[in-house]
Amino acid sequence: MENLAIKLFGKTLRNPVMNASGTLGYGKEIEPLWGIETLGAYVTKGLSAKPHHGNPTPRVWEEGNGMINSIGLQNIGVERFFDEYFPYFKKRNAHIIVNFFGFTEEEYFACAEKIRPDPLIVALEMNLSCPNIKMGGISFGKEPNMVFEIVKHVKAITNIPLIIKLTPEVKNIVDVARAACEGGANGLTLINTMPAAVVDIKSRCIPLKGGLSGPILKPIALRAVHECSKAVSVPIVGVGGIMNTEDALSFFMAGASAIQIGTATFLDPYVIPKIIRGISRYIDEHKLSRIDDVVGIARE
Amino acid sequence: MDDIEATILKNRNIVSDYYLLKLRLSKPIGKVLPGQFVMLKVPGNEVFLRRPFSVYDHDKNSLTLMYRVVGKGTRVLSNIKKNERTLVLGPLGNAFNVKRADKHIVVAGGIGIAGVHTLIKKLGKKAHIFFGCNTREELPLIADILEFNPMVATLDGSIGFAGNVIELLQGRIEPMMGKDTMIYACGPDGMVKSLRKMLEKHRTPCQVLVEERMACGLGLCFGCVIRTTDDAEPYKRVCKEGPVFDLWKISL
Repeated sequence: MENLAIKLFGKTLRNPVMNASGTLGYGKEIEPLWGIETLGAYVTKGLSAKPHHGNPTPRVWEEGNGMINSIGLQNIGVERFFDEYFPYFKKRNAHIIVNFFGFTEEEYFACAEKIRPDPLIVALEMNLSCPNIKMGGISFGKEPNMVFEIVKHVKAITNIPLIIKLTPEVKNIVDVARAACEGGANGLTLINTMPAAVVDIKSRCIPLKGGLSGPILKPIALRAVHECSKAVSVPIVGVGGIMNTEDALSFFMAGASAIQIGTATFLDPYVIPKIIRGISRYIDEHKLSRIDDVVGIARE
Repeated sequence: MDDIEATILKNRNIVSDYYLLKLRLSKPIGKVLPGQFVMLKVPGNEVFLRRPFSVYDHDKNSLTLMYRVVGKGTRVLSNIKKNERTLVLGPLGNAFNVKRADKHIVVAGGIGIAGVHTLIKKLGKKAHIFFGCNTREELPLIADILEFNPMVATLDGSIGFAGNVIELLQGRIEPMMGKDTMIYACGPDGMVKSLRKMLEKHRTPCQVLVEERMACGLGLCFGCVIRTTDDAEPYKRVCKEGPVFDLWKISL
């Protein structure tokens, strides 16, 4: 599977497959089944400058061919992550991408400041889907000008490459992608979950509102990846409803340089190693030299 | 722990909406401790996520789950026929902590019996068993533990004590209380709340097996939490830090 290696921000990753943030715990939890170094890079659970308790239950709800989650960004805080969990990745020589968030610009800055560069840290992945509590709760990722501003400021704080993870709930995702790149983004992760709700007709209540994920999201994500990859030159990490190797290949062909797998792991905890092997097989069968040969080749 | 291919041997209706599902495993599941659970794929395409079930019984090559139809997943499951194939991930979660010197009291309400069944089998006649259900029709739920002389409460009074299982326990617990008494409980929220109220005075040691909606069962998603008394990190994962918790460390 040597044919799978990719270059990302000057680092060589074993393969182009990552987990989606928040779908592989703090990393260690999957250890009984497979080693974390199987991944091209482990993407951390969303971390913040200070710990967050998260939301009361219910936090998850099955909805047709997908699920809605409202975990509420529960996390132990960026400092504890680096004290307690980072040594594990060091020991396994496993690359990581540090996903982080905040509810004010200052919280984003405070978190980014606490992350020291390290040969194993490939990038930071900034979650811009959080409500900005100083701006009436509008999410940071909604308006191109807000995205431009926060990206520019975070770039001034850190030397680590910065990936921006975008919400699909925007007027025009290409405008937001362009704004992120003008602000200095080194890459984009497309897309975050879609805001959604369920109604329980028995109790006539809404048990939860949250982010929709799973195969139901795939076509929306593919369109975002394709359109943004034509508009910007930075690498794109595609995510949304990837359940198998065919789905993963669709994302590469749409323009993604790497992919993330989230909800599928809950259905099959071995799906990540299976997809990695599947991509390798595809490269061999089609006599490609590397996956890059098919990135963005899908034509309209 | 592993994801094991399985074949449905039987999926039998016990009474009303209670079922017993027996699976043949393609390889041994290994050691399963009382209180542990599995994540079962419901065969077919109708159900998206896996569903968590306590291990009701098991041997080297088979696994038995007892379930009650409560929603879409279990409804679809109840219609699955013999010979269908599926997957079980497990064993998962932390088990009951059983110490040798304890006086053991096991309290179960309704389908809660599924969570403590292997514990009862392990403790055998050493345990005082209290079981509560709605009516005598539901007694088949404890058919294979009758040898351990369970005390039964029915809400309609059709057999045993007339009332709920905690009221039954209230009248019998005094002589069983010692400094090494351990209570194990699994049942509806109301049962656990009443039990806690009853034990409040002496804060008798009690382990409770809880349930919650789950997505992964492995501690990956933080979807299935319970609020605890740990102020620094109140929400603990039912699948990972549980499903068995110290009654005095959870918030009800």
